[in-house]
Amino acid sequence: MQQLNPSEISDIIKNRIQGLDVKAEAKNEGTIVGVSDGIVRIHGLADAQYGEMIEFDGGLYGMALNLERDSVGVVILGDYENLTEGMTARCTGRILEVPVGRELLGRVVDALGNPIDGKGPINAATTAPIEKVAPGVIARQSVDQPVQIGLKCVDAMVPIGRGQRELIISDRQIGKTAIAIDAIINQKRSGIKCVYVAIGQKMSTIANIVRTLEEYGAMEYTTVVAASASDPAPMQFIAPYSGCSMGEFFRDHGEDALVIYDDLTKQAWAYRQISLLLKRPPGREAYPGDVFYLHSRLLERAARVNAEYVEQYTNGEVKGQTGSLTALPIIETQAGDISAFVPTNVISITDGQIFLETQAFNSGLRPAMNPGTSVSRVGGSAQVPFMKKISGGIKLALAQYRELAAFSQFASDLDDATRRQLEHGERVTELMKQKQYAPMSVAEMGTSLFAANEGYLRDVEVDKVLDFESALLSYMRSEHADFMNDIDENGTYNDDVVATLHEAIKKFKDTQSF
Amino acid sequence: MAELATIARPYANAVFELAKRDNHLEQWARMLAVLNATTQNETVALLLDSPDMPASAKAYRLAEVCGDELDDRGKKFLQSLAEHDRLALIGEIREQFEALRAEEQKSLEVEVISAYPLSDSQGDALKQALNRKFDKEIAIESRVDQSLIGGAVIRAGDMVIDGSIRGKLQKLAENLEQL
Repeated sequence: MQQLNPSEISDIIKNRIQGLDVKAEAKNEGTIVGVSDGIVRIHGLADAQYGEMIEFDGGLYGMALNLERDSVGVVILGDYENLTEGMTARCTGRILEVPVGRELLGRVVDALGNPIDGKGPINAATTAPIEKVAPGVIARQSVDQPVQIGLKCVDAMVPIGRGQRELIISDRQIGKTAIAIDAIINQKRSGIKCVYVAIGQKMSTIANIVRTLEEYGAMEYTTVVAASASDPAPMQFIAPYSGCSMGEFFRDHGEDALVIYDDLTKQAWAYRQISLLLKRPPGREAYPGDVFYLHSRLLERAARVNAEYVEQYTNGEVKGQTGSLTALPIIETQAGDISAFVPTNVISITDGQIFLETQAFNSGLRPAMNPGTSVSRVGGSAQVPFMKKISGGIKLALAQYRELAAFSQFASDLDDATRRQLEHGERVTELMKQKQYAPMSVAEMGTSLFAANEGYLRDVEVDKVLDFESALLSYMRSEHADFMNDIDENGTYNDDVVATLHEAIKKFKDTQSF
Repeated sequence: MAELATIARPYANAVFELAKRDNHLEQWARMLAVLNATTQNETVALLLDSPDMPASAKAYRLAEVCGDELDDRGKKFLQSLAEHDRLALIGEIREQFEALRAEEQKSLEVEVISAYPLSDSQGDALKQALNRKFDKEIAIESRVDQSLIGGAVIRAGDMVIDGSIRGKLQKLAENLEQL
């Protein structure tokens, strides 16, 4: 016997039949003249708009992408195997839209906003078109609040501000997603809502990520938009825009959101496939001419908006609050080639990038960030004073170290000053290592960086640095809990803070072992 | 189909403009209708498709078959089609010509498919309503399709108004399936 669904209760069915509004309305109709590889050509549909949802028999939808004189080219968002020549297609008059709102937090949805986590329907009150024009100059405000990623190397050297676009770029399997997931987990402290858009990944990988997020209690404030490798190319193409609209909801309501596009390379591939099938002329690397606009219009929507914009948008419901949407796009390079088409495009669009290096990864440095080529163009002004003051020396120390390290390979004996610098650099590099899923608070990061800056690591052996750090931090948490909490909350930096840190670290070194 | 329409457009435009200038719209419409009907004849279609006959000869034969129905201009039209090897486009050209003619004469051909034959009063009421909506002279071509169960479907070019019971049931089914 077939199983009975909970939705088959007669009351629910009755309500749906009653609520159904079937008026005879004039609709623009067309006939399918060709179906090939998920692209349908339709004769008729004279009123179709660009990006409009086109309805087929059986509740299947498509998106109009090519408007030509005698036909409309439509990509099918779903299973196109049942479509045949001669079937009819109708205009809906609606540009493609997805549900948005708080109801989506904690859910896993596909690129159209349909739930795929088996937790029942999402009763979102509002929908938003997936393609929107980014806020203009008047609506914007400069980036001056931090998004703490919880990774020492990122927060100290490439700080990210709310509303910034920071690219994460490397070869496959070097830890791009790991940084993104750590960033989401760390937002538990900040209350920033997160959207993770998975494009062209394996379903098993996506399931793993969702499970990890659940384990660390991060799904409560996160939406996962999944367009897996088995979804049709149009779904992979629109997924980032859907995720962006979901994040924009929070931005426009005076809150902060973080959206991660993992990864845009696969989206560009999906778009290339669609474009070639639509017979648009191929350009460099066979990408269509508008592949730059594909990413620029998406990333431009990540922004910090001012209070007036939020007030206007919410009709005065939210007053005096700025909103932001921070974007962490991810790009995968092939054999470290960052001068390929899509990587250069996205590097030029974003406000900085985090480079992860295969070599560093293989030598055991995780996160494998290259401090020389990774930059953040706007995040510096968003750092809390405490982090800003302390992290200043770190980047310099690492830069000098790398220069000297390359140079000192040829020299047999070095003078004392050089050797000291090399040793310091070695320890700082070691200190930049951090375990996955273990994001640190501002006070914790600051304390260990402070210890390195002030030379407290000098008499610690290189392979003991991380043990020293964890012992120091647990000491600080137990003996100076108030001080640490105060820094996490206010992030102030003054002589008192410095004195307390000196005193505490000295005492720790005198009394504790590691 | 889409590409055929694109190729046929300049021919249809040329014929229409010529016919309009000389006030020969009716004659041209008739000629094109005859040509279209002729090319749809099986033997003629076979002849037109045959590869071992030059296009100009095909046009000549076609003109012969149509006999008095074609005037000199019609024959010249056929020759110019043959010159570019576009004799296969006659059907498409006629369709576009008719569309242009309908636009010019502010008339609209509407197909009404109903479950039961329309009575005269129903037809008139429909005509008036459609006239108000489209602001054009309406010519109704009605057809009966019992699978609609009840009501009617009105089709005017791309525009479709589905007021049939079958359409409503389909909508209901789709709505229930979404649960």
